[in-house]
Amino acid sequence: MKRHHATALAVTLLALAAAAAASIRFLDHRKPEPIVRGPGVTEVRMLSEWLPDLAGSPGDTEVYVFRGASPGSSMLVLGGTHPNEPSSFLSAVLLIENALVSAGTLYVIPRANASGFTHNDPQEGAPERYSVALPGGSVRTFRYGSRATNPVHQWPDPDVYVHAASGQTLSGNETRNLNRGYPGRADGTLTERVCLGIANLIRAEKIDISVDLHEASPEYPVINAIVAHERAMPLASQVVLGLEFLDIKIGLEPSPKNLRGLTHRELGDATDTLAVLMETANPSQGRLRGRTDEALVLKGRDPYYVKAQALGRLYVPFDENGHPIEERVGRHLSGISEFAFALSSERPDRPLEFAGVPEYGALLEKGLGAFLKPLP
Amino acid sequence: MTYLYLAIAASVLGLTAWNLWTEKDWRKQATAAMVAIPLLLRVLLIK
Repeated sequence: MKRHHATALAVTLLALAAAAAASIRFLDHRKPEPIVRGPGVTEVRMLSEWLPDLAGSPGDTEVYVFRGASPGSSMLVLGGTHPNEPSSFLSAVLLIENALVSAGTLYVIPRANASGFTHNDPQEGAPERYSVALPGGSVRTFRYGSRATNPVHQWPDPDVYVHAASGQTLSGNETRNLNRGYPGRADGTLTERVCLGIANLIRAEKIDISVDLHEASPEYPVINAIVAHERAMPLASQVVLGLEFLDIKIGLEPSPKNLRGLTHRELGDATDTLAVLMETANPSQGRLRGRTDEALVLKGRDPYYVKAQALGRLYVPFDENGHPIEERVGRHLSGISEFAFALSSERPDRPLEFAGVPEYGALLEKGLGAFLKPLP
Repeated sequence: MTYLYLAIAASVLGLTAWNLWTEKDWRKQATAAMVAIPLLLRVLLIK
């Protein structure tokens, strides 16, 4: 063997070894983190039950069902529509592990875009994971994902994304954004089929209200807010008042009729559900942020956002205390509880009643870990 | 489209491997080896 052939083999083996070492962590991002089945969960189903074409695909995802002892109204909570918005996913996890439903039915999808959890956004410097300590000394670790479906699962992006139902055009990468694909279509992309699966679930199970949980960067105008379809506005107004009584300030925005593909527009138009979306403040996804690490995800403190606040550039108050994950999850969970209360008040013959959901003050006082269950 | 992409990736991978095998400067060989890894992953539809 010539010398340069030997070096070719040697450098190839070295490159393969380096890639193999890196791939262990890379591929680990595709393993779903465990969620402990709480005492209130009566069934765990898969989204593919409502769209069989999704079975075995990276878009199939768990649907946790809480069926109360007495009949009543039903609610669907969507967590993880955008897996880089951790309060959305964690709020769903806390519901699954703690909620007890006595009347009506609660459906929770913690990883609405399951594919989006299997990678994170290039060049964002986001952490792969974040960990929450539990009182007993154990730790729960969760993936920080991407806003969009993994391109390994859906490729290529078109230059221009055309929303199928309306013809609305957006940039090509939005074709992998779950919250631009509703109401979905059977012969569409993976993202559109997941949207259709969720819409089918809402139709088949006659979901009365759908709550889609999100986070926004502090410089984004729609933040610490509820966005409601016009049919859901009266109910959402009651929730705003209810949250005010808990000292939680929240805005209320009507769903724009010309912004298509989003849950609060399409699910409200295409199904009978009352469609609402909730936003909290997440500095780890903002453009003005500094170092992007696990601490920023969980503590929500960033000196650059404090400066931006002083310059009047933000749409949410921002001081040295930031917006910790407990506050953000607490806002979502309080909103969900208030929606259930308001719905039950409007339909006393069909109540939706649940207990055990961590309260805002308790989350701030005890921390998120106090309400997460240790892994078996 | 996917098959066209795979054909392009496989072609570039083949040329890179040829360059790696025939090049005499070990630094350029190392560069070719590192370039070949992501191409291989793409041809195998892993990344």
